[in-house]
Amino acid sequence: MSANPGIRVAVDIGGTFTDIVILEGDGVVRTLKVPSTTGDYSRGIADGIRSLAQAAALPLGAIADIVHGTTAATNAVLEGTGARTGLVTTKGFRDVLELGRMRRPILYDLFWEKPRPLVHRSLRLEVLERMGADGQEVSPVDIPSVRQTARHLAASGVDSVAVCLINAYRNPAHEQSVRVILSEELPGIPISLSSEVLPEVDEYERTSTTTINAYLRPVIESYVRSLLNRLDQMGIRCPVLIMQSSGGLMSAWGASERPAYVVESGPAAGAIGSSFVAQELGLANAITFDMGGTTAKASIIEEGRLRIAHECEVGAGISIGTRLQSGGGYVLRVPAIDLAEVGAGGGSIVSVDQGGVLKVGPQSAGAVPGPICYGLGGRHLTVTDSNLVLGYLNPDRLAGGAVALDPVAARHAVQEQVADRLGLGVYEAAYGVHLVANANMIRAINAVSTERGRDPRQFTLIAFGGSGPVHAAEMARALGIRRVLIPLIAGLFSSFGLLLADVERRAVRTCNVPLVAEAWQRVEGIFSQLEIEAAEALDAEGFRASAFQRSADLRYVGQAHALLIQIPAASRSVVEVRELFDREHLQTYGRRDEVDVEIVNLRVTASATVPKPSLPALRVDGNYASRGRSTTRMAYFGSGLTPTSVLTTREQLGTEWLEGPLIIEEYDSTIVVPPGTTAHLDSAGNVLIDTIASALT
Amino acid sequence: MLGAMYAMLYILRMGQEPPGIRALRRTEQAPTAELPNIDPITFEVLRNAVDSILDEMSLTIVRTAYSTIVRDAMDFATSIFNAEGELLAQGLSLPFHLGGMPDALASVRRRFGHDLLPGDVFILNDPYEGGSHLPDIFMFRPVFVADQLGGFTATTAHHTDVGGRVPGSNAADSTEIYQEGLRIPPMRLMRAGEPVEDVVRLISANVRAPEKVMGDLRAQLTACAIGERRLRELIDRHGPSTVQVYFREMLDYTERLARNEIRQLPDGVFTFTDYLDDDGISPEPIPIRVTVTISGDELTVDLNGTSRQVSGAINATASHTRSAVFIVIRSIMASHIPNNAGLFRPIRVLIPAGTITNLTLPAACAARAITSYRVIDTLLGALAQAVPDRVCAAGEGGNTFWTVAGTDREGQKYILVEPMVGCWGGRPDRDGVDGIAPLGANIRNAPVERIEAEYPVRVEEYALVRDSGGPGRFRGGMSVTRSIRLLGPDATLQVRSERRKTLPYGLFGGQPGQPSDNTIIRNRKRLRMPSKFVMTVRTGDVYRHRLPSAGGYGNPMDRDPSRVLEDVLAEKVSARGARADYGVVLAGRREGMRVDEAETTRLRARVMRDGSR
Repeated sequence: MSANPGIRVAVDIGGTFTDIVILEGDGVVRTLKVPSTTGDYSRGIADGIRSLAQAAALPLGAIADIVHGTTAATNAVLEGTGARTGLVTTKGFRDVLELGRMRRPILYDLFWEKPRPLVHRSLRLEVLERMGADGQEVSPVDIPSVRQTARHLAASGVDSVAVCLINAYRNPAHEQSVRVILSEELPGIPISLSSEVLPEVDEYERTSTTTINAYLRPVIESYVRSLLNRLDQMGIRCPVLIMQSSGGLMSAWGASERPAYVVESGPAAGAIGSSFVAQELGLANAITFDMGGTTAKASIIEEGRLRIAHECEVGAGISIGTRLQSGGGYVLRVPAIDLAEVGAGGGSIVSVDQGGVLKVGPQSAGAVPGPICYGLGGRHLTVTDSNLVLGYLNPDRLAGGAVALDPVAARHAVQEQVADRLGLGVYEAAYGVHLVANANMIRAINAVSTERGRDPRQFTLIAFGGSGPVHAAEMARALGIRRVLIPLIAGLFSSFGLLLADVERRAVRTCNVPLVAEAWQRVEGIFSQLEIEAAEALDAEGFRASAFQRSADLRYVGQAHALLIQIPAASRSVVEVRELFDREHLQTYGRRDEVDVEIVNLRVTASATVPKPSLPALRVDGNYASRGRSTTRMAYFGSGLTPTSVLTTREQLGTEWLEGPLIIEEYDSTIVVPPGTTAHLDSAGNVLIDTIASALT
Repeated sequence: MLGAMYAMLYILRMGQEPPGIRALRRTEQAPTAELPNIDPITFEVLRNAVDSILDEMSLTIVRTAYSTIVRDAMDFATSIFNAEGELLAQGLSLPFHLGGMPDALASVRRRFGHDLLPGDVFILNDPYEGGSHLPDIFMFRPVFVADQLGGFTATTAHHTDVGGRVPGSNAADSTEIYQEGLRIPPMRLMRAGEPVEDVVRLISANVRAPEKVMGDLRAQLTACAIGERRLRELIDRHGPSTVQVYFREMLDYTERLARNEIRQLPDGVFTFTDYLDDDGISPEPIPIRVTVTISGDELTVDLNGTSRQVSGAINATASHTRSAVFIVIRSIMASHIPNNAGLFRPIRVLIPAGTITNLTLPAACAARAITSYRVIDTLLGALAQAVPDRVCAAGEGGNTFWTVAGTDREGQKYILVEPMVGCWGGRPDRDGVDGIAPLGANIRNAPVERIEAEYPVRVEEYALVRDSGGPGRFRGGMSVTRSIRLLGPDATLQVRSERRKTLPYGLFGGQPGQPSDNTIIRNRKRLRMPSKFVMTVRTGDVYRHRLPSAGGYGNPMDRDPSRVLEDVLAEKVSARGARADYGVVLAGRREGMRVDEAETTRLRARVMRDGSR
């Protein structure tokens, strides 16, 4: 973008830290990490923005927009602190929400507990009405029964109501009449209709999603209100945008009406940032790898596009198995960037099990007490402690020296908790922890690549998050991935990514039609209708749709599972779409079938472009400034301690390829370049690591 | 990247006491090629790699299968075996498949063990030669690395139809295997990478829904092939001898964990008998009896005393009975133990031939899961005496199976099949679960809106039944009911349900659950139906099924009154039920409701004294 977009601010709230990034119109980037102010997050946000702006002498009134990623919605679900919610259902179906799909995520545990429904059974009320599966009315809405239900809910003091009637995805009329009566009896109480939140078949998934939306509405609304108030008091009156799970932005008020769409807000931004970096560098294929304190997440970019998943479970805990065995959490069927997550991060706890095998995670020491080396009372050995023992982390320099680490305690713990029990030396044990953590995290990468028929060797690994650049090169080597890219501001890359997203709205319609020429006109009609809906939704928030993207869920007739296929705007022929589907099926599963194809859902994304910075023009200021010359320290890479150069800025690396071992220490992250690999700095400020380095050997 | 780790000089000392932490000891000598060392890091890395392969195989089946049974019931399994045919790891799957695959592979190896080629694929479904029941088709693919057998990848899936007298090949009222469908002894489906067309045509000609069956077989083939490729890459990367040593260690590791678990159980002999209502053909109850002997780090389960095989199609193979046994033993073990052959080593299962738990020709077996569900209940009942703090009271006793078959108004034939699942029994420190699949299966329910969109029926109710959970200090799970109205022309309704006569038991003073119930509502008249029946239903008829509820755990008079109040507020227990079943007296209304402590104490004392309520 050539126009100077002014000062833009990104705020990413995590459970422990709030990360703030300010981007000035001329490309200067400033960052700050402050503790999150639980209870009222807006205080931490306001203070952070103020102090960062003050340090740079930036006028608060000049801020053009604030882009926000938040875990507020997720936390409300996980902690059960959402609104007192009522649910209105068709007679005979009050238990749909509680029965769910009857599955459990683990097989051999007699003590498993089902997640407690978000709406108490006494607040799940039935009304007399019935819509048929064909969208024709079977029996009309019984107005007195609805009014009675509404009064009961009013007397029960609910703060929010969800309405989910059987077959409302085919015809919303009954839900709409129910809303009219509810609004009369419950003035000011937000009402979420399933036919608006998710007009898709499957009563449980639709009820669950609508209920989550209703459960979160008052919470997110008051969150947004207090944030805007506080900003207003500071003289900041710019637009505030919130990241949706799908990676698109939405106005803060839009998010408070449809909070179901921002539940996975946090992790999306890093993937969006990666896709922007990939696009700028002309990389069509990349795997993103984000390793934080508790989990590691991977996603895939193909032909410049992130993969979107259309269902997830909130609060299911982290385990590989959850992708196969559902039932552990609250089903949320909204588009989200397809992230595979494993319970391995810097804070993951290391143990030796009864069979004498080394385990890493999924339990985490969190940020408090955190790893033993933090000296905050942590007793459990973590991945970060092992990385410190291996010489990868600087005991005096983590977070720019803000956190002093205790290498003696870490070493002692590795000795006692692993080395002695397995008969290993202390470095071998610490390196073992490093490798086992890598093996766990490789499963997340496999989940988005090999498990979908993609060969990771044909992808660049884009690694970020506090610990990602410590592990990335070694993992890439194990996977046969040649190129690793560590973007600028790697440790706060998720917040930076917020500045690289566009505003978007999505619309979906279940249609179940065969993929044949005769039906295509109808399909086109639905697509156009969805485009109008999505554009109007953007319009209502003050944005103008500048691009539309069409996609469809397709499957072979009789197949249970559909594949999401992007439909290019130019494609007007059924044969072409069929070919796209066959090719995707072949790539993903290794075969194509000679069977008719049907369309399950049609989807449209409308987006409004936001001005983006140019990477080479970026200059990172403040905390990243050079902190002295390079030094040398001993580090362990699998065979004896090796003298390793330590650079204190990435600029010291230069554009020439340098041979590892090398360590680059930054304010928010540490990059490890192991022996046998090489690294250099590209013109856009990214560190590139080559894991094969054949030129040097 | 692991080269450095291989170079470490350790040797594994096996079979030591106690097994808590494995000892590893440095040796003076470098390892020879025949004896690579075990290091715990490589071990964990390889284990992750094997699990990752299984994830990929399972996902391939889930995503490319054509049948809803695979999608909704997850009725399939994926496994990897070592070159000796021992189960190395099993992917997430239907629990009933745990332990079933080794018998099937043994059968393939018996016939073809000396005649395996790269690119071969073997199938079978014959219960009398390694199979389980005819709809389950097993598939195996040998994995070769440089002409050497490195292992097998395997899948099994429940197919929509394999022929026989009744659509779905699942009828409970067949009396001979010959009525149940196509029997496939172990044979090649692919020879050296080429499909054996004769076999493909034979199967295709004998099943009712060939496009679904062939589609699902393709899904299995793809999964086996992907597994083979990944396993080959893994062996290539680490070297065949290293991998074989680690594969053996994976079994030994599991065995150590399993023995350690069994050692913590009290020694002794524990017997329990439970009953199936009947086999649907004659009305006699069918006893299932188990005797568990725990001795040191070994455990024996003896099915002597169990009924002879019966006329109805509910006879199980020994392998299916063993699966039921393994499910229970795995479930009472505290830690996470891998599913492989090492788990089976310290467990002996004695199953007399010719019983309902180990069929002989020509017994029919399509609905044998009903028997295996009862084996699970019976074994839990026996173990309740040994480890009362690790078991739960009886659940609904397995799924009800109902089928509506007919022709819709457009003249299209349809079969609507639904396995309905329900609840778990009360547990030592918590209530049972309301609305969950049984231990032996992880079946999902069918979405009401999909049923209505695809079949000429309307679902009119799907709900929990108040006051149904077996009373106990920890309440049993509640009954689930579903009502379905036929909108299309007259159709055939077939129902197989259980636990009408022998109720799901409670434990340690907990009350039993309530029986199942079948009702037909025709012209506003209610017709009470037996637990197993076939009938013609008319347009407008409603079939209402109520699943059994689960048993309670502990004396209901010891239940915390505030939990009873909670159940009343949730409308899961009525105020009358609170009084009658729990001796709890409530005062006030709606949110203002509270426990009347004085009255409750008085009532409970009277009940305890009189033994009546």
